[in-house]
Amino acid sequence: MSPRLSALGLPAVAVALVGGVLAVHLAYGGGQFEPLRPADPCVVRDVTSQSERIEALTEQLVLIGLDEAACTLGTSREALTLELARSGAGAQADAQADDQADALRDGLLAAVARMQGDGTLPAASDLVDEALDTADLNGVLEAVIRAVPDSVVDAALPMDDVLTRAIEDLDLHALLANLDDQAALEAQVQAAVSQAVVDSLVARVRDLV
Amino acid sequence: MRRAVAPLLAVTVALVLADSAIVTLALPDILVHLDTTVAQVAWVLISFNLVLGLAAVPTAVGFARVQPRVVGAVGIAIFAAASAWCAVAQSIEVLIAARCVQALGGALALVGCLELLVALYGERRGIATWITAGVIGTATGPVAGGLLTQAFSWQAIFVVQVPFAVLAVPAALAVRTGPLPTPAPATVRHRPAVRPNLTLALLSAALTAALFLLVLLLVNGWSHSPATAALAVSVVPLAALAARPLARLLHPSAEVEIAVGCFLVAGGLAGLALLPSADLAWTVAPQALIGLGLGLTIDQLTAQAMHLRLPRIEHASWTIGARHLGVVVGLVILTPVFTADLQDAQVPAQEAITALVLDAPMPAQDKVSLAEALGAELTDQQGQVPDLHHASATADFGPEVRPAAAQLERDLDAQLERAATHAFRTSFLVGAALALLALLTVIAPHRRRPA
Repeated sequence: MSPRLSALGLPAVAVALVGGVLAVHLAYGGGQFEPLRPADPCVVRDVTSQSERIEALTEQLVLIGLDEAACTLGTSREALTLELARSGAGAQADAQADDQADALRDGLLAAVARMQGDGTLPAASDLVDEALDTADLNGVLEAVIRAVPDSVVDAALPMDDVLTRAIEDLDLHALLANLDDQAALEAQVQAAVSQAVVDSLVARVRDLV
Repeated sequence: MRRAVAPLLAVTVALVLADSAIVTLALPDILVHLDTTVAQVAWVLISFNLVLGLAAVPTAVGFARVQPRVVGAVGIAIFAAASAWCAVAQSIEVLIAARCVQALGGALALVGCLELLVALYGERRGIATWITAGVIGTATGPVAGGLLTQAFSWQAIFVVQVPFAVLAVPAALAVRTGPLPTPAPATVRHRPAVRPNLTLALLSAALTAALFLLVLLLVNGWSHSPATAALAVSVVPLAALAARPLARLLHPSAEVEIAVGCFLVAGGLAGLALLPSADLAWTVAPQALIGLGLGLTIDQLTAQAMHLRLPRIEHASWTIGARHLGVVVGLVILTPVFTADLQDAQVPAQEAITALVLDAPMPAQDKVSLAEALGAELTDQQGQVPDLHHASATADFGPEVRPAAAQLERDLDAQLERAATHAFRTSFLVGAALALLALLTVIAPHRRRPA
């Protein structure tokens, strides 16, 4: 082998090997092997649920509400969720907690409006049976309510109105502080929804009068 | 016994030089068993390399007038006793202290063994055996450490050294050496070879990145067992074996060989920084480049640093010092980098996991249960990669949800692997930069001395 060839042979092999390895790695996405980046919360995304009835409605409202709130706060849905989870342990300043509670309330209200607008909000009659199953009511009263025709229930309790009242009535500070306490959380939501149902019915009666 | 003397001494050299890396795969076990921190456990590596690096040259100078068989035997005995002490250490402080003593014994053993191998084999073959044993030890250290840790425990990597060393002590004493050479006059006392030693130090720092970080990525980031990681990193020593035949085929000059070796190590580290997935197969080619680079450089640089320089043992010790202080420099530079990157990786990893849980095709109540279990797991595993399987098992899904939950668990694991792999990227690139610096020291123009 000539001296010139022997001087160039090994470097040429090395350049080919390194270039080949790096090229293959880059071609197969070597520069982009990173964790999933959070989606832009300001871009509307489809929200579905594998749950049924009230649980499905709650999940859809929360997911849309989180997107809306994150968009308002200029963060991602995931970062906001993690911050809210930590806020239960009192990890945030009051001013930040206030901003988050306000953004979340506006987000949930926007979620109601969006679901009402695209027709995905269920009618009140679809949820009455499940609500009565979990409510602690007198048996006779429960039987009477079940006997009310769906059309009457839907006319008396427009879903968007009930939900809007419930969300406005919710103490979100207390709710976020109770995220680790499932029983307290459910009790708080149930109280707000019950009050919203009563307020909505009273409003209907007032409209009739 | 006489026929076994030289192999035993060579094995001792390999053991001492393997020890700078052999504990790498045991570090996660040591971390848990001795209930310590990542920063403290790094000192199990740093202390050995620092003491060996600093003690090598003074040992060679200080014991120049002592019979090499005595120096070798005493060094091997201290090394063996300190290895046993490491195995029974019950606290990180004791383990680090034992590692320091082990390194002092190692310095004496390396100095003694070189002279003994030269006495047994002659100048050329003795030095070649000493250098080759060192390269083999460096390359195979992590593999041996991983297999022993998996098969037995982290203590096994120290216990297994004791019988070899116990046999090597009488072997060292059995070597008949001639009278001690008279001290070299100042006129034939050569200065240390700065350039090859500097290249050796920088390359050792880069190789630390290759072996130390890759092992951490495989075991802690991708959750492989130490044995699997050991088998995976065995590509490096295997490729190192291929370096010599390749060099013989192409007949490059020593300078070209070293420069190409540095370039291959840099390229391999860049390949590790650009992994396309968490599949072990993607680490093979970059490791092969690193192994080839290691095989082309370490022995050539060591030989260059010692070539025709007197006293021989002092210049051999300069190479030991350069290599081990290079490892320390690598660890000191890289440890804070990847520790900070791992810390930073937690936020994107948690956000990715949150996104997957929120969008999972599962009933809301199951998502809440899983989120609670994941939260508890993340709290329990602060600073380490969480066990998502444990979280899924805790959530206790119904049979109709299990397929979706199993898919979710796989997706969550993939996100953790992505986050861990991404967290090591900068460190591998820093390692590649160190290898390129080593290349610069080779290709930079030499200063010509006036005739």
